[in-house]
Amino acid sequence: MNADKVLDARGLSCPMPVVRTKKAIDELKPGQILELHTTDSGALSDIPAWAKTAGHRVIEQSEDNGVYKFWIQKG
Amino acid sequence: MSRKVAIIASNGGLFDAYKVFNIATAAAAADAEVAIFFTFEGLNLIHKDAHQQLPVPTGREHYMEGFKKANVPSIPELLQMAQEMNVKLIACQMTMDVMSLKKEDFVDGVDVGGAATFLHFAQDADVTLTF
Repeated sequence: MNADKVLDARGLSCPMPVVRTKKAIDELKPGQILELHTTDSGALSDIPAWAKTAGHRVIEQSEDNGVYKFWIQKG
Repeated sequence: MSRKVAIIASNGGLFDAYKVFNIATAAAAADAEVAIFFTFEGLNLIHKDAHQQLPVPTGREHYMEGFKKANVPSIPELLQMAQEMNVKLIACQMTMDVMSLKKEDFVDGVDVGGAATFLHFAQDADVTLTF
């Protein structure tokens, strides 16, 4: 999937993945897509919850060798 | 429409600081308007010097290794982040008087107010938390 921006948040713990994701998505326009990489397993529930609260949409997610990837479309 | 999160911080240990600032920054990251009212020992969390070396509960010193291993951000980092995300920090005037603290004793950008100031903010808050 093509992303407009990629954010490497690997190695960071709560609440940093969410905080960095927010900062990154602020730089995008509505409809654009952010690709997030994180190793925080809490992000599995945190990122979808955050997206719902903040009005964005997780359109895809995957896991690869302990790295969780999310594609988030800015609302 | 922006949601409001109102937090009271009334304890001054390291773990208390994490509870307060993690929730506050996460809420701010979700575009909520956040205010924290610091009262009694909670004032430590925004004190210029104290917030850099908050006490760890006795018998829990071994947690510090876990903090390092999990790469948890420091309290000064979290506090700075909260301020960058416009979290409103309100120091309790009455406690400041009792402890002979001045506005200058706190990190820059702190507001000073009383119970009514916090209640005014919290009146229509969607989430209210006490730590």
